[in-house]
Amino acid sequence: MVRETVKWATSEEIKHINALVPKKAKIIKIIKETLDITTFHISSENGRIPFDTAPGQLVMLSLLGVGEGMFSVTNAGDHLEISVKKTGVLTDALHEVVEGQTVGIRGAYGNGFPVDFCRGKNLLFIAGGIGLAPVRSLIHHAVKRRDEFGSLHLIYGSRSPADLVYKTELFETWPAVSDFKVSLTVDHGDDEWQGNVGFVPAFVEQIQPSVENTACILCGPPIMIKYTLGVLDSLGFSPENIFTTLEMRMKCGIGKCGRCNIGSCYVCLDGPVFSLAQLKCLPNEF
Amino acid sequence: MKTLRKCQLDKALDTISQNAVVYAPVKKGEMSCFVRYQDGVELELEENTLFSPKGILFPAAEKMYSYETTGLDMEIKKSDREFGLSVLFGVRSCDVQAIVCLDDVFLSKGFADEYYLTRRQETTIVALGCTNPGVNCFCQSMGLNPLEHEMADVQLFDLGDIYGLRARTEKGEILVKALDEVGLLAAGEGVSNPEVGEFFYNFSPEGVVEKLQMMFESPLWNELAQKCLNCGVCTFLCPTCHCFDISGKKQTAHCGHKLRCWDSCMFSEYTLMAGGHNPRPTKMERVRQRFMHKLRYFPERYGKFLCTGCGRCMAKCPVNLEITQVIRQVKEAVI
Repeated sequence: MVRETVKWATSEEIKHINALVPKKAKIIKIIKETLDITTFHISSENGRIPFDTAPGQLVMLSLLGVGEGMFSVTNAGDHLEISVKKTGVLTDALHEVVEGQTVGIRGAYGNGFPVDFCRGKNLLFIAGGIGLAPVRSLIHHAVKRRDEFGSLHLIYGSRSPADLVYKTELFETWPAVSDFKVSLTVDHGDDEWQGNVGFVPAFVEQIQPSVENTACILCGPPIMIKYTLGVLDSLGFSPENIFTTLEMRMKCGIGKCGRCNIGSCYVCLDGPVFSLAQLKCLPNEF
Repeated sequence: MKTLRKCQLDKALDTISQNAVVYAPVKKGEMSCFVRYQDGVELELEENTLFSPKGILFPAAEKMYSYETTGLDMEIKKSDREFGLSVLFGVRSCDVQAIVCLDDVFLSKGFADEYYLTRRQETTIVALGCTNPGVNCFCQSMGLNPLEHEMADVQLFDLGDIYGLRARTEKGEILVKALDEVGLLAAGEGVSNPEVGEFFYNFSPEGVVEKLQMMFESPLWNELAQKCLNCGVCTFLCPTCHCFDISGKKQTAHCGHKLRCWDSCMFSEYTLMAGGHNPRPTKMERVRQRFMHKLRYFPERYGKFLCTGCGRCMAKCPVNLEITQVIRQVKEAVI
């Protein structure tokens, strides 16, 4: 049996000690995206970003007295943004929060999107529903550094026009960015909807996005991911060029509490972003 | 090697207690566990304890921080952690190895857990070699030496009427010196290490990791899950199981504290997400996770098994689901 010596906290490997206690932060702005999705702008007490984050990383938001939950950072600048969908006790309570309220926050956790790998490539973003939230952090990163990336293309779908999130960006900001194409679809249209009606996988197949020098970032409900992967495969995308971000139940965020593992990987530490090539090597348990 | 007469053990523990809190194995009715040593406790040195010393370094429930809200504002106060110098006395090789596993989990891979770190740094481990293996013991099969463990600070050897003492670390030397200074120790010249008795279990887990890498979809897990009750006693008693939950306790509407407590991968809510998705929805996935974690995932991540052969899970499993048997079945499985 291999016996490794104890790696004490003084070792170079240890970057953070006690990452489990949140720091105080303030909700500075609340934007109602849809009936059940809200975006929160969060800053530290002195009005700065609580800590540095990279696109695709996670933060643990704590509503003391209710609970904490892991959310992906959807945008970061002089403050953090997270978008939350009502799905349970904590997220319901978060929808009752008011501007100016103090919350706890800790992080940033996880690997984030492979920004270096993406640099110089065309980026194809495919998202469904609230799945646009993590993808948006990379979109903002790429838009801010527009010359570092090739063409940008977002294919996004939601259940109905009313369920589309970040509407200003989808309809105004991003289409105005040079060489940034935004293609939208909804499962069910309404009287005013002029765009495409249909599910995301079929829409991707219809659009036939180019594979050439392209990295695809995919996030959405599991069923959407499953069928979209089939389409991407038929279009010729290799598993090394497809990235997705996973979610799991998490408590610590630092690879210790044990519950977010897929095989010997911890989603909070080694993920949440995995290439399809990496996922194919992991047990199918997520 | 120095020696200590067994009849002077109480005096030795009293001496150590002057400078540190001593946790020693004690019999409590049907139970045995590590508790704070004081006069009159009945030490259990014949066989290993039912509860491992895991809970001293990683308590079953511990306060992490408290909070208080006033209007829109809130204060977070870290819990005062006064642990102080401690000595874990009489830890068997299996349980020392379990602490080595906990060290890997809590102190490596980029983040150190401060709660564990504080306790670990202030603890001196006095290990006691086993000469008489219990009926459920299989540490030797898991690659350990029941007589001694190199990660102990002080190693004790049972030599009949006397204990042999060997300091292995600086911490250990300080402890041995303290006993020597009050005249409790003798020079143990010519004293040789004892021999270990027969183990009922004798196998090698070699090749199990590689085998399990091909057995995620094996029918074995369904077979085991039919027996398992998901009661969680195995993970509760296991000296290496370390999964925890973080939850809150409200004292009033405005204040309360966060605490963490042991959790178990055997429970259905363990991986249940808000929204209802559960990556391990049935007993099969949970049973598979437990054995895969111990025998494949942990070795892949940390280079050692997350089972030290203490046998506690086998002693208390209500349906006799034995990890030694699982290892055998894995080795014999035809892929």
